[in-house]
Amino acid sequence: MRDLRESREGRAAKRPSRARPTENVLREGLRLERVPDPSILTLFGATGDLAHRKVIPAVYHLWRTNLLPHEFVLLALGRRPYDDESFRTEVRKTLEQYSRVLPLDEAAWRSFSHRICYQRLDFDDPRGFDTLAKRLDELDQTEGTRGNRLYYLATQPSQFAEIVGELGRVGLDHERHDGGWRRIVIEKPFGHDLESAKRLNREVGKVFRESQVYRIDHYLGKETVRNLLVFRFGNGIFEPLWNRRYVDHVQITVAESIGIENRGAFYEETGAARDVLQNHLLQLVSLVAMEPPATFEADALRDEKVKVLRAIGTHPADPFDEVVRGQYGAGWVGGEQVKAYRDEDEVDPKSETETFVAARLNIDDWRWSGVPFYVRTGKRLPKRATEIAIQFRAVPHHLFRHATSSEPDANLLAIRIQPDEGIMLRFGAKVPGLGLDVRSVTMDFTYGSSFNVDTPDAYETLILDGLQGDASLFTRADEVEEAWSLVDPFIEAWANGPPPGFPNYDAGTWGPPEADELIAREGRRWRRI
Amino acid sequence: MATDMIALNRPVLRWAARARTIPDIEKELSRIWAKQDLTTDVDGAPGRHVSARTNVMNLVVVARRPEIAERGAATIQALTGLHPSRTIVVQPADPDGPSWLDARIEAHCVMPVADAPETCAETIHLIAGGESGRHLVALVTPLIIHDLPVTVWWPGEPPFGTTATNDLFSACDRLVIDGSTWGGDGLARLGEMAACAETTGIAVSDFAMMRQSRWREAIASIFDDPDYLPYLRSVRRISVTYGTHDETGSPGSTNIIKPVYHVAWLASRLGMHVVKPLAPVPSPAKPTKSKSSAAPMHRGMAASLADGRADVAVVIRPIHSDMPSGTTLRVELLSERRGSELRADVTAEADTVHVRVWIDGVEALDRHFLAARRGDVDLLAESIEAIDRDAVSYGTLQMAAQLTGAHSRGHRSA
Repeated sequence: MRDLRESREGRAAKRPSRARPTENVLREGLRLERVPDPSILTLFGATGDLAHRKVIPAVYHLWRTNLLPHEFVLLALGRRPYDDESFRTEVRKTLEQYSRVLPLDEAAWRSFSHRICYQRLDFDDPRGFDTLAKRLDELDQTEGTRGNRLYYLATQPSQFAEIVGELGRVGLDHERHDGGWRRIVIEKPFGHDLESAKRLNREVGKVFRESQVYRIDHYLGKETVRNLLVFRFGNGIFEPLWNRRYVDHVQITVAESIGIENRGAFYEETGAARDVLQNHLLQLVSLVAMEPPATFEADALRDEKVKVLRAIGTHPADPFDEVVRGQYGAGWVGGEQVKAYRDEDEVDPKSETETFVAARLNIDDWRWSGVPFYVRTGKRLPKRATEIAIQFRAVPHHLFRHATSSEPDANLLAIRIQPDEGIMLRFGAKVPGLGLDVRSVTMDFTYGSSFNVDTPDAYETLILDGLQGDASLFTRADEVEEAWSLVDPFIEAWANGPPPGFPNYDAGTWGPPEADELIAREGRRWRRI
Repeated sequence: MATDMIALNRPVLRWAARARTIPDIEKELSRIWAKQDLTTDVDGAPGRHVSARTNVMNLVVVARRPEIAERGAATIQALTGLHPSRTIVVQPADPDGPSWLDARIEAHCVMPVADAPETCAETIHLIAGGESGRHLVALVTPLIIHDLPVTVWWPGEPPFGTTATNDLFSACDRLVIDGSTWGGDGLARLGEMAACAETTGIAVSDFAMMRQSRWREAIASIFDDPDYLPYLRSVRRISVTYGTHDETGSPGSTNIIKPVYHVAWLASRLGMHVVKPLAPVPSPAKPTKSKSSAAPMHRGMAASLADGRADVAVVIRPIHSDMPSGTTLRVELLSERRGSELRADVTAEADTVHVRVWIDGVEALDRHFLAARRGDVDLLAESIEAIDRDAVSYGTLQMAAQLTGAHSRGHRSA
């Protein structure tokens, strides 16, 4: 009334306005993470491998460390005929096998087990979704979860669209006006190519708004990947060097020593380009190359990442010149003889599926023009290692040329993502003694030594982010489509081109010779990892 | 040197030496790391490589009694892997005798992950007799690793305001303390600590404040809801109930630093100022007897705050409880906004904090937060992770001092 009266009298503008508070000042300085709202995590594909190896252990650890709300339910959905009690028994066995902290904390397990429910659901059966809707409503009533739901699709990708459609049909996507939120987490692979990714985005978009969709790439939840952002944008000394003036080239390696591990049928349809290059590798490229975002908010981050992917796209790679593929033959890895890819179960003996891919990417923007990004990934390589290496330019003038027996190496910054997460900086130092020998030495930061902490698994980070509504580490629809638009042309060219002459590298080696030639053409070589 | 097999994350003594002067201590410290390929032998065979030392900070522990020194050292050893520090445990002794020093220098190592090099850090146990024990800064300064932050952990009651203490604090970045262990109600010393923080610029981590973080998280969560957020700037009453073992709960009988911090945190975050500092609530003319024939429970302390629009009533009251004396049992808030009333009631039970909210008498929120009570190791770890002064803790401490009526020269920017 006073506002109205003063407004009529023309005095309102003179009084300082009492703006409606827009932020919770009590939050400032609280060291504890904000505990997510009361909620139900509805896990589709709960009896599958991904759920048991990764998702359920991650949820248990979040519970164990008090990072989940007291009013929380894990509603597991699957085709198998469990009930709540028998599924809890299965979860217990799973945790005893896959929990990263053993033995299990019995008190935490007891309380957690009461939060697990199971609902049998055939994803092809629409009636099952009606039953699901009722069960969710009941749980809201009995467990106080207030209509907040995170749907987690840990199913076969072919079921994504169907499940999303059914969730929409029974109204489980609708966010309630009184605060009940609905979010959906979708596991990779998100599409098989650009066309299928667009189709899936369209199907998901018919039901959920983009802000409700969390496309998971677990690499983004890894501690070192997150630290990359802190390293780049939380330190003053590196970012000024992070450009074409000082960087000679960048190498990113995602190497696996394992083979396809009984996933022959899946891998035959996928291959290294779809399985790793399109998502993990391009995500790493975009995090290395992106401009500083204005804020550390989801869309600001993702805007910058998309710009990098678009900058790669402006100069399409010649599929046979800039990209190399390979497939492993028999060989020795870690002291064991392993068979060729074509001899693996469920693999076509004449398969042309690539188990290795290396590419030279150009990022045509102001910062990176002329700086090649070499990326490679493969199966049955000599060791498991993921690393980003920033190779700096050599000094412009070799002052110690005559005094030293060999040219010192140019500076190098290596960011190890797995294993032995850490950061290494290589620089030249004088060898002690009367001469002036210069030798490369390293400053080595190892996470394990400096922070002897219980590092969360990537899935823990991402599930917690999903429950808290923080989409920073999830990929957006346009990112997914941009990434496919980069990978699609050469996958298509491979499909229509001449036979690749597989196998072309032995298991236990660093890929085919063509990969070395790809980088050697410009007088460089892959880092020995 | 010990050559024990090392278990994951369990500190093992790898080096020990003694010295009686500061230069000799420095020499011993150099000797530990001069042997670059420090290795341990296992069953006669060459053993694993012991990594170079790792130090991320200096930690000074001032222990007035041997048992405090032992307890402090044990707590710090539990942190060797997490926060490898050069630790200097100083124990003044025999203040009226001649000056002397006796130092034990040790290196403890942990293996963070299997097959990784060990991470090692040094501990110096320093007993300083006579006059030298009074000049702590003179003992500590030569032994700290330069360019690394210095945290001083002082179990017990530091003599705030003395020259020697101020000199030490001026040379350090952070003071770790537990105000809830102080004698009496603790309020006078709280005022001295706030003044000291202001004078010396040292940041303060008070376990008494840190233990309440689970309460703060729960209280803050109420106003995460956009529907309740507008009530945040209209708090009109803050009431904190604490447990006491004293049958009368009379002022001065129980350390009430923790309940005072609750009020101070809310007041400083919400931009309030003190109108009337805490004072005992007068007893009614005819005291009501409690159920038993014991003396009536005191009505506690009251204060008055203001937020620029209206006054805010504050009550801190005792009830008899088996919980440790001075433990917060309940925080109640009352907000009034445009004729509507929000009432919040926050309580803690074991590992859970329970929040209930009523809007105009109708229950609107009922949430439990899982939050375990934390021990000294966790609190110390959290303290030493934070090096710089943070505005929230500083503001809370200064507000707490103002609530007690201690003279404050106003806030300095954090």
